[in-house]
Amino acid sequence: MGRIRQQGPQPMIRDAANAAQAAKAGPAVSVRGVDMDFGAGPLAVADAGFDLARGRFLTILGPSGSGKTTLLRMIAGFQTPTRGEIFINGEPVSKVAPHQRAIGMVFQKLALFPHLTAAQNVAFPLKMRRFDARGIPARVEQFLDLVRLGGLGGRRIHELSGGQQQRVAIARALVFQPDLLLLDEPLAALDRKLREEMQLEFRRIQRELGVTTINVTHDQREALVMSDEVIVMEAGRIQQNARPVDLYRDPANAFVANFIGVTSFLPGRVAPGGLECGGILCPGTPRQALAAGTPARGAIRAEQIRMAADGAALAGLDFRLQGQVRDAIFEGERQLYEVVLPALGGIAVQVYHHDASDFALTAPGQTVTVGWNRRDMILFPAAVP
Amino acid sequence: MRPSRAEYPYRWRLMDRLEAAADRLFPRRWSRWTGWLMLAPALLLVAVLLIGLVQIADASLHTLDRKTFRTSAAYSLDNYRAALDQGVYLAVLWRSVLGAAIVTLLTLLLAFPYGYVMVRTRSSNLRKLLLIALFLPFFIGQVVRAYGWLIILGNGGLVNDLLGLVGVPPQRLLFNYPAVLFGLVQYMLPFAVLMLAPALTAIPEETEAAAGSLGANWLRTLWHVVLPMARPGLVGAGLVVVSLTLTDFAMPAILGGGGQDFIANAIYDQFFRTSDQGLGAALTLLLVGIGSLVVGAVFTAFGAGTLAMGRART
Ligand SMILES: Nc1ncnc2c1ncn2[C@@H]1O[C@H](COP(=O)(O)OP(=O)(O)OP(=O)(O)O)[C@@H](O)[C@H]1O
Ligand SMILES: [Mg+2]
Repeated sequence: MGRIRQQGPQPMIRDAANAAQAAKAGPAVSVRGVDMDFGAGPLAVADAGFDLARGRFLTILGPSGSGKTTLLRMIAGFQTPTRGEIFINGEPVSKVAPHQRAIGMVFQKLALFPHLTAAQNVAFPLKMRRFDARGIPARVEQFLDLVRLGGLGGRRIHELSGGQQQRVAIARALVFQPDLLLLDEPLAALDRKLREEMQLEFRRIQRELGVTTINVTHDQREALVMSDEVIVMEAGRIQQNARPVDLYRDPANAFVANFIGVTSFLPGRVAPGGLECGGILCPGTPRQALAAGTPARGAIRAEQIRMAADGAALAGLDFRLQGQVRDAIFEGERQLYEVVLPALGGIAVQVYHHDASDFALTAPGQTVTVGWNRRDMILFPAAVP
Repeated sequence: MRPSRAEYPYRWRLMDRLEAAADRLFPRRWSRWTGWLMLAPALLLVAVLLIGLVQIADASLHTLDRKTFRTSAAYSLDNYRAALDQGVYLAVLWRSVLGAAIVTLLTLLLAFPYGYVMVRTRSSNLRKLLLIALFLPFFIGQVVRAYGWLIILGNGGLVNDLLGLVGVPPQRLLFNYPAVLFGLVQYMLPFAVLMLAPALTAIPEETEAAAGSLGANWLRTLWHVVLPMARPGLVGAGLVVVSLTLTDFAMPAILGGGGQDFIANAIYDQFFRTSDQGLGAALTLLLVGIGSLVVGAVFTAFGAGTLAMGRART
């Protein structure tokens, strides 16, 4: 981060007191008991709360309509929470207008200014925030270089490709060194290849500048790849707030388990050592202590179920079972099988298989053996809280 | 089985019939002429206008002999000389051009906030109210509206009555230049708002929010983002208002009381009062010339705005 901060004129938005404030160790953003009520229907955001440390990259992940944008807009100041308070650098901000918050935002539809050139778009926040005019061109240049758009500053927005426009939006949001960067699904409109490139690019820039960032997406891969922390939202409520690895390994509830990755659920009752399903004990581990006999669901990920034509190959697993392949979906680097388990009452589970030499061998209708280890199946109470 | 209405709407069936009929009347192999055929009525109309213009140009080159009331056979530029030499006509020309400029400026100033609120308001009731208020005057013709102002602004009218209540003596509010301009602004406002609204709708709210998050207060957002992005609408609305004002007849005639003539009134007088067709034709061509100059100047300076049908933008 040092390179950028040392070059160019220092912004004037931070006076000495603010700098001292920023140096304090408190969270960069903290959201406390925030509700948003649009009047009609249930709360768009209900009792949201989290802290985000300086320099961290947080992703808010959730299905469409779960309240992600609403939460982000409240942090940006475009909407006022109906309850609760948001603190930025320890200061409550509900009475601070958006243009007085030092927040850079990249919008879902980018919201670039079509009547200005790329360079003028990047210069806009500097001009609006009254930076020293003599320093602006150099600084714009520097940030265009940072997003690898050096030399394209003179182009109008419509003369740039989608990915290039993306970068202009990023440079524009970062150039005034905001305390906080907010991203509302800015990569959603890009094709997959470019999106994955931009995810890494974004990560690089974010690390280089060390800016605290909140990203919103419904793409779980993006959330896992880019973030230090992930918040999963559903129906306005935060379901889990964890590091990507923990989110993946240890989902807090069935919703999160289902939303991240490809997960199969087995219905049954809690029994000692696992889940009793169709009279068979399937080994598994409850996430919280559950009394034996409680209705429960066992969640298991597609890549944690092993599969083989010959059952002996799976001898080391805690549990093995015969099934019939119902469907095989070729996904390129791997194949996804749907396997029906007659012993469990005809439940189907989804299984990933990565051995390319094997892909052609397993066809629908074939009998296979599947199996898994006790720690790989997580039991949740049947009624989703 | 006949397809049900839901699967095959009546509108499609109607189209089928029409297409079958059209096929018979106008075989497919002629179809590359379809475009021109559809343009033909409009082109015909323009052609008739052009012929009229040529005839007027011809008439403007013959002077009227005031003794015999015959037009001269010889061609001369005397009518133009007369129009440009006589102070009356220069004054009328100047009054029209200045009026058009002032009315356009005032109308755009008033139409912009009106259109902006109409497009941006979250209350659908307010939007409806603004729309109705905009369209109601359209149902009342220009002349009737001008007479309405005569009643309201007259010596014994509503405004003077109200002024009387607070002890102000009756004011002469009619038959002067401001009265004409006032009537014109009121008449032009709906046109301007209707031309502006689509341009304002085309500015995403998110873009304005972005300007805010980048540090612009509302005034700077308006100046640096909304106004430049609304320019096509402003240019389009401005052109319509300028041309309608420059050529207006009823407002100067009624609210000006004969002392505040615009060019159209002077032309009317030449054709129907003094019967000097030549001079009337010369004035007409001057009006066409000035109008074209103004429109041409705006086109060169700002582009055609919404009148370029989105082609010039992107
Ligand atoms: N201005 C508004 N007025 C009324 N309801 C709203 C408004 N904005 C959002 N909502 C509602 O609040 C809920 C959350 O919306 P939000 O835009 O935050 O969802 P999201 O998680 O961003 O979804 P997506 O992934 O589709 O963008 C939705 O049910 C939506 O209909
Ligand atoms: Mg959203």
